[in-house]
Amino acid sequence: MYQQLSNLSDKELISRARKLKDREAEGVLLERYSHLLVAICLPTLKNNPGTSVQTLFPSLLQRLSNGLKTQSIQKASEWVHQTAKTYFAHPDKQIPYYPSREAREQLHTENRVEKAASNTIEKQTLITQIQQALAGLSTDDRYLVEQFYLENKTFADLAAQKGYTPEKVRQLLKKAKSRLAMQLTNQSHVK
Amino acid sequence: MSNSISYNERLLKIFAGVRCLNKDQLPRYLEGRLTDIEKHLVEQHLVDCDLCFDALQVLHKDGQMEKYISLSTGIQQYIRASIRPVSQLQKMERYLRRVKKRESLLIYFWLVAFIVGGGSLLYLMQQYNRNKPVMARPAAVPVVPAAAIATTPPPADSQASPSKPVMLSSATGATTTPLATPPPAVKDTAKALVKKPAIDSAARKAAAAAAAKAADSLRLKKAAIKDSAAKPAIKKDTPVMAAAATVDKTDKTDKKDDNNNNSKEKEENGSNASKPAATKAAPSSSAIVDTDEYLYKAAMVYQQQGNLDEAISRYKRLTPNNGRVGEMARYQMGVCYRSKGQTGKAKRMFKEVVRMDGTMKQAAQQALDNL
Repeated sequence: MYQQLSNLSDKELISRARKLKDREAEGVLLERYSHLLVAICLPTLKNNPGTSVQTLFPSLLQRLSNGLKTQSIQKASEWVHQTAKTYFAHPDKQIPYYPSREAREQLHTENRVEKAASNTIEKQTLITQIQQALAGLSTDDRYLVEQFYLENKTFADLAAQKGYTPEKVRQLLKKAKSRLAMQLTNQSHVK
Repeated sequence: MSNSISYNERLLKIFAGVRCLNKDQLPRYLEGRLTDIEKHLVEQHLVDCDLCFDALQVLHKDGQMEKYISLSTGIQQYIRASIRPVSQLQKMERYLRRVKKRESLLIYFWLVAFIVGGGSLLYLMQQYNRNKPVMARPAAVPVVPAAAIATTPPPADSQASPSKPVMLSSATGATTTPLATPPPAVKDTAKALVKKPAIDSAARKAAAAAAAKAADSLRLKKAAIKDSAAKPAIKKDTPVMAAAATVDKTDKTDKKDDNNNNSKEKEENGSNASKPAATKAAPSSSAIVDTDEYLYKAAMVYQQQGNLDEAISRYKRLTPNNGRVGEMARYQMGVCYRSKGQTGKAKRMFKEVVRMDGTMKQAAQQALDNL
């Protein structure tokens, strides 16, 4: 059962945990992100020596479990990240997760691309739309996007070419992608 | 052309969803032990995912790999430990629920099967009973009247009757005035009584006792008649009913006579004390009638109790009496013989009754016809 559940996507696990009240699915989902959660908690543990591992992780996991039952989660990774961040900022407050507009637009475009996988007509429309959106980007952004996604260059390569740090490259790419997603969403709304 | 298609296809890659880094990929990426494709996919994902990027940054800068590894295995174990018992419990609950459902379904099935089976059995029984009498009736019919006549007298009457007459006779003999009806079988004597009433008190008392006894006997008879009338279809003794009707009629006329008699008695008592010879004859004749009546009644009781031989022997003692009591006794003897299955004797008795040409003639004739 565990093996079967671990093969499911985040979306399916969330729906199982919510609709069927499947604790096992909930466990598999939390386990999937547990190592990342540990990694982002390390600075907090280091900076606050008073914080105990025995209290931090159970309470954080409990909060995540509660959020899983009540909140609408589009992207699990974003939800985990935001929940952890709000927990560190306000340990006593339960601030609900709500995805940003950029995240929603990006998710919407990702879903469109996923749906168009077997539909050639839809695929062609999407491709032309992306080309138009790319044309709308600044030269720097377009260059970065084309080099990274189409020429399969790494962060390090691009950083070396441009003289940025890899983090800066990632940041620029993220912004460019967000703009692309926004343009595509606007195009679809106009149409 | 193929290049252009592949180029275009690659454009879709920008928005392809890639999963977060798993537990193995994270340290391998940090150590640079990933293939180019894998590395590119991870970086593609890192553009979107802040969680993975933050995690990588933390581990890259702080270098707390050992702590990270121990904590990540610890948290994994904690999650599994907190989930497992619950999931096992859930599985058990689910299994138990399924078993219960199956059991309840089985119970419902057997209940329905039992009801249907019972219903069909009842239906078949009804059908069988509806068809059964056609075959079974001839065998059943001769048994029933014999039992009805001989063995099943009405319980109240049969229990009360043997003790009643004695008590009543003693009570009425001591206190009551002769208001009760005289015996219906002794019409002639009653008439004689009307013509020649008793004068002295002793004679009057005797007459009163006789009247009371006669009334009792009549009551018994009526009970017997009622009993027989209760099962007219089985017994086929309708003549008795007719006889009872006649008895009733005579009874009523006698009552009237008796009343007249009493009034006349009183008048004569007051006015005159003559005609002693006539008064002597009346009590003696009434006493004979009374004994016969009494015997008849006792025999009736035996008959009702089912002791037919005793009843017949009692009735036989009454055969010298050629009056109404004798006639009734013969008729009842016939009935007894018939009940015993001695049809020859029964016929003879009924013929005698017919020959006597009394009130029971018609009933006897009918009984003869039915034999």
